[in-house]
Amino acid sequence: MNDGTVNKSRRRFLIGGTSLVGAVGGVGAAVPFVGSWNPSARALAAGAPITIDISRLIPGELLGPMPAWRGQPIFVMRRDQATLDTLHANVDHLGDPQSKNANQQPLYAQNEFRSRKPELMILVGICTHLGCSPKLFAQVQPQDFDPNWKGGFFCPCHGSMFDLAGRVFSGVPAPANLRVPPHYYVNDNVIVIGLDSENS
Amino acid sequence: MAGSSENKSNESKIGNAPEEIGGLLGWINARLPVVQAFEKHMSKYYAPKNFNVWYIFGILAMVVLVNQIFTGIWLTMNFNTSSEGAFASVEYIMRDVDFGWILRYMHSTGASAFFIVVYLHMFRGLMYGSYQKPRELIWIFGMAIYLVLMAEGFMGYVLPWGQMSYWGANVIVSLFGAIPVIGQDLMTWIQGDFLISGATLNRFFALHVVALPLVLLLLVVLHILALHEVGSNNPDGIEIKKLKDANGIPLDGIPFHPYYTTHDLLGVVVFLFVFCFVLFFMPEMGGYFLEHANFEEANNLKTPEHIAPVWYFTPFYSMLRAVTYPLFGFDAKMWGAIVMGLAIAVLFVVPWLDRSPVKSMRYKGWYSRISLLLFVAAFIILGVLGTRIATGPRTALAQICTVYYFVFFLAMPWYTRKEATTTPPARVTGRFITVPQLALALALVVGLTWLPLTAVGAESDAGLEPFSVNLHDKAGLQAGASTFINYCMGCHSARFSRYQRVANDLDIPEDVMKDLLLLNPSANLGDLMESALPKETAKNWFGAAPPDLTLVARVRGSAWLYGYLKGFYRDPSRPFGVNNTVFNNVGMPNILEHLQGDQVCADKTCTHLNKVEGTGKLSEAEFDKVATDLVNFLTYLGEPARLHRETIGAYVLFFLAFLFVFAFMLNREYWKDIH
Repeated sequence: MNDGTVNKSRRRFLIGGTSLVGAVGGVGAAVPFVGSWNPSARALAAGAPITIDISRLIPGELLGPMPAWRGQPIFVMRRDQATLDTLHANVDHLGDPQSKNANQQPLYAQNEFRSRKPELMILVGICTHLGCSPKLFAQVQPQDFDPNWKGGFFCPCHGSMFDLAGRVFSGVPAPANLRVPPHYYVNDNVIVIGLDSENS
Repeated sequence: MAGSSENKSNESKIGNAPEEIGGLLGWINARLPVVQAFEKHMSKYYAPKNFNVWYIFGILAMVVLVNQIFTGIWLTMNFNTSSEGAFASVEYIMRDVDFGWILRYMHSTGASAFFIVVYLHMFRGLMYGSYQKPRELIWIFGMAIYLVLMAEGFMGYVLPWGQMSYWGANVIVSLFGAIPVIGQDLMTWIQGDFLISGATLNRFFALHVVALPLVLLLLVVLHILALHEVGSNNPDGIEIKKLKDANGIPLDGIPFHPYYTTHDLLGVVVFLFVFCFVLFFMPEMGGYFLEHANFEEANNLKTPEHIAPVWYFTPFYSMLRAVTYPLFGFDAKMWGAIVMGLAIAVLFVVPWLDRSPVKSMRYKGWYSRISLLLFVAAFIILGVLGTRIATGPRTALAQICTVYYFVFFLAMPWYTRKEATTTPPARVTGRFITVPQLALALALVVGLTWLPLTAVGAESDAGLEPFSVNLHDKAGLQAGASTFINYCMGCHSARFSRYQRVANDLDIPEDVMKDLLLLNPSANLGDLMESALPKETAKNWFGAAPPDLTLVARVRGSAWLYGYLKGFYRDPSRPFGVNNTVFNNVGMPNILEHLQGDQVCADKTCTHLNKVEGTGKLSEAEFDKVATDLVNFLTYLGEPARLHRETIGAYVLFFLAFLFVFAFMLNREYWKDIH
């Protein structure tokens, strides 16, 4: 059978073809390994939407005990008119006052107060810098970190500051506003966190 | 040989002057001899050119080893090592983790595949005398690998914490109890408790996933290094290094790369095809790869009715059971353990038992050939017997085979010297077994195993009406789910399954599922399907907590369930006034009685039941549908990924067939040089 010559191009083609098909197989074999790192059905069930009752919410304080959605703290606060007025005033110091970064809130919260209802603040309490949970400093009074403090959140990890709409200050490490979770009102006192509407 | 001479010129350039290699490879090679290593083990490792199909199993063992390591690492990511959580975590992997079932089946099928290829690899060694001088050390490393592999298989089997895991571990650990004086204390020490418990599970886990794999990898490296030092044997059992050309290359040798890499690639693809077929279409292998009883959680108070180790241990298990006499002051238990240990120990000394002047069966005499044939038959018979319940004749056959197992080895020094051998040729032959020879050999092995096994009695299954599972009938499955939640879940749980998954898989709209859940108001769709009835209350009502039903179809089988659902009949002597034809003295009332109606025995033995006229809401055909739907649903519930598995399997096999075409052509292209 051997006539002493080697068909190089045929060999190259076969090596290339086998390698290519083999590589496809390798990618296919990797699918279960990669895919198994996705959240499991248990994690998804644990991260299901939550229902919270805000009938006992005290103005100027975060809803307690702290609700958790997907294991993350949810900041819920009732803002009075004075607070909403300070949100108007503070705009110069903010990184994204108009919530232009669409990833940080659903469409219905892409407004100045970043909420469906101006008086109700609903935020994921996780700093957009490196994931610590910022602390609430609600009073308008000078703070160590800001002598002109108008009330808002301060992250103890790396000093990022957010106002009471979760809008990030300029000149801090955090790159974006605090996230507004998808949510809807079942009635005035009951909110579902995790869904945009009942039918979504 | 133009192709290889061209290769050679390339290689010699690389080999003689590695400093001339430029680029990154040159930089690395100046610091780490990767090129030399590649040449030593691949492109200038000269393997005999007459390898046949028996020479694929070493590579396949390595493929399986890699599979076991990767899937094993991934399984540990979701496995729970506590005795409370281990069983549930395996079902969690099978159901809740994306692709978890593939990883688990890859690992469980891989375990059996490992032993299949290793047994064939060992048989190859026996057939062609691959253990003979100068390859004794390779053989010893190989036997050490086999020993470690058995420990791996055993401890790995304990981890899912099913009934077979538990009772298998119990039997094996009890073997140590056979040792006089220290036995009992040793057992307690191994278990870390007075029984197989969470402490045992945890240490077995550590050994299975860390310690033994490290030892195994080390032994594999030693096995291959020793092999590459002395070179491979071949079907003719001739040392190819005796005849070399002017360049010092064996005349009958060809470079491992590219010739055997292309060859082995082809073999690996064929193997993967078979492997994936089992993995995707019969992962339980009829209860041999994954035993039915192991889908029931470990219970230290209840031994399963029929206990057999997983198939790869059954030959040795048979030997253990075959020893029934005390001798020299030791009891049978002790001797059983000794025989089992010796059966493995004797393998290590085979290189010194074979005194034949030739290596391969091709040139050995008839004594050796017949002995080996009988040995194979005896080993298979012992394996089959180990899966069956012991009876008098079966034990006698196992005793004969056990004796022969040792005769084969211990008489080897005698018959290998005594027999007439033929002189091997100077050069390797390209000959293969002829079709009549192959047919004769296979017929002899089959005959020699099948006849004795038939003589001692084959087992017959209980006479259950066959049930054909239909998982494509969504409406039926939905009806079954409804029956299950409305009736069964009053007392039973399905605590490894989630409502959401059932709803999604069976196309049950979420609001319909939520309505079904009204029975259990605190339940969410994403929850596990716990029963509304607290365990303690249930225990008080029935005397024993009703078993979880998630896996009942995998434990009992669909036919059994169908027979059970239809097998209730009036029996005033029982607490609930009913008994069951397939589950005698059942402790459960006939919950579907108001649908089915009462049944009474038509004869003494209750092989037929008659319905009592005027009872039950449904006609016989209507109830039959209810029972069928429920059994189909339970079958689905036992393995929700089953249909998905078969679909993926079809794609995988199709892909492998495509890859085969390329591998086949590549192999043929290179082997043109040789043939």
